[in-house]
Amino acid sequence: MAQFVPFAVFFFFAAVAVIFAAAVVLHRNPVVGALSLVASFFALAVMYVLLEAPFLAALQVIVYAGAIMVLFLFVIMLLNLQHQEEPRTRPVQQFLGYTSSAAFGLALIYYLAKFGVTQLPDGPFVSDARTVGIKMFESYIFPFEMVSILLLAAIVGALLLSGRTGTSVLPAPSTATLDDQDTRPALHSEVESR
Amino acid sequence: MIPTHWFLILSAILFTIGVCGVLTRKNGITIFMCIELMVNAVNLTFVAYARQFHQVHGLLFVFFVMAIAAAEAAVGLAIFISLFHQRHTIDVDEANLMRW
Repeated sequence: MAQFVPFAVFFFFAAVAVIFAAAVVLHRNPVVGALSLVASFFALAVMYVLLEAPFLAALQVIVYAGAIMVLFLFVIMLLNLQHQEEPRTRPVQQFLGYTSSAAFGLALIYYLAKFGVTQLPDGPFVSDARTVGIKMFESYIFPFEMVSILLLAAIVGALLLSGRTGTSVLPAPSTATLDDQDTRPALHSEVESR
Repeated sequence: MIPTHWFLILSAILFTIGVCGVLTRKNGITIFMCIELMVNAVNLTFVAYARQFHQVHGLLFVFFVMAIAAAEAAVGLAIFISLFHQRHTIDVDEANLMRW
């Protein structure tokens, strides 16, 4: 009896993940979409626990559901998008999108089921924070540092893009520079209008 | 023990839903959330194969993918805020300045 519990948990949370992921695609309100995506990420964290990776499950909840999705929700609320009506997609695009993605998914599942690996190795899979950390700082120290530089670049880029002066980058494709002649008049007129 | 290919099939379904959303939706932030969904489906594949082969490398790749997804979300959402300030919409069909 006890060996069926993981299967029941798997099917329940797989259904939760798929239903909420479909809600992201089908629902027209982006706030509902973002909250559905959070629910889907929680279900995926349960999948990580079933795959004997509890450390990654914690990371999934903290980083994805906690940080990234809060960023999404924050931007949706900031731009006040929940009242904005999304225009309908053209029927041709809708038909082509649904049929091509369905064909892609069916092909993927067919080949996964055909060449599926079924034999699991013996013994427990040790993947706690200690093992992952030792591996990270022994074999993957260079990519780790590169990721830290990438995150720094992302912070600077996000600040530059979303700042008020950063908005003058986009509308002037001919000059497309951030030199003083471009930004100063925009800043002055903004201050004067206040 | 749940077989690995069940997780792979679940991952394929989630990835397909993400592809479908990217192809059919117009709201930029929704398209972005569908990309996050696809990234998570690939993460699930990495973890499933990590358990299949008893290797920690797959988990480390998931770690890196999470970090890169965070960077991508920050920059992408900043781009959408900037676009919204310019056009007052985040409909991706409106942002066709660099189209052809």
